[in-house]
Amino acid sequence: MSSLKVCIVIPAYNEERVIRDTIQGIQKALNKSNYRYEIVVVNDGSSDNTSTEARRAGATVIDHILNSGAGGATATGLLYAKKNAFDILVTMDADGQHVPTDAIAGIDTLANSNVDLLIGSRLIDSTGMSKIKVIGNLGLSGITYLLFGTKVMDSQSGLRIFSKRAIDGLRWRTSGFEFCSEMLWRAKQQHIVVAEYPIKAVYSEYSMQKGQNNWNGINIVKSLIRRRIVETFE
Amino acid sequence: MRYPLLLLLNSPIIAIALLNAVTKYKLGQLDKTKFTKQLISWLGLLAVLLVALPIYNYSHNDSLFQSDKLSILDIVQTTAIVYLVFIVNTLRLKVEKSEQRLRDLHQELSIRLSDK
Repeated sequence: MSSLKVCIVIPAYNEERVIRDTIQGIQKALNKSNYRYEIVVVNDGSSDNTSTEARRAGATVIDHILNSGAGGATATGLLYAKKNAFDILVTMDADGQHVPTDAIAGIDTLANSNVDLLIGSRLIDSTGMSKIKVIGNLGLSGITYLLFGTKVMDSQSGLRIFSKRAIDGLRWRTSGFEFCSEMLWRAKQQHIVVAEYPIKAVYSEYSMQKGQNNWNGINIVKSLIRRRIVETFE
Repeated sequence: MRYPLLLLLNSPIIAIALLNAVTKYKLGQLDKTKFTKQLISWLGLLAVLLVALPIYNYSHNDSLFQSDKLSILDIVQTTAIVYLVFIVNTLRLKVEKSEQRLRDLHQELSIRLSDK
């Protein structure tokens, strides 16, 4: 058994239909690995039974009192991992689009390298992803590069692996999906080593309905530009 | 007389803004980069006010910038703009700090309540 303590954080908002399967899939994969782990679902003020379903599946559940957005929920998971002295943190989407074995491969890679933040890139091999999503994600990564100078192919990926240094040091201000790009900026500011590795994304009908669309991308861009301008004068 | 008056009215606002920035930096509430940016912004504004008359004289020769000399109303307006920039900047920093504290409180409360 590895001495590394791994925290799997799943931010969830109204995911009662899939959260149980997602958690059980992760448990099944991680039980075959050597890692000690805890699955933490941050229920971001859901109005359905996400919290109950996650508890039934055996996860630790943190219930947000107020809906804070994906960035806020992930930040709570990060704080939990810091307070409980975890060595590695993995963030995964609640809709089951991430393959648990990809997460384990990422943990292995991070544990044996000097990387502090490892991004699971869906765009290195974008098979299965619709063209419009590929263009949207590449566009957001391009804008992230222009605004913050961070070279990452899939800046919006939800599968991310953090080292202890990143758990203790990374913080961001935005609370919506734009936190994905802001996190890369903060990592650059703190000289945190960022790398990418290829992952598969499994898109079900459910995850296609729940996922971000390109119109939401416009809101992300607006928020990122605003953040960049504001901090120029700080 | 009008240009010194412009400087006289605006320099206390800039002095307070600079003092605030230095105090926050010394107390550790502002990091070095943010402090430098604040310093450059306010000192830049002061520099522009100091050379307002030479700028006017220089640009007066260009037809595009040709205008009447500074009136009392212009002085009041410019002072009001500088004062508003000062107020907006102070309020923005306060709002960001409050937002951060609220976010931290929410996260802490959610984790603590979940432990029970």
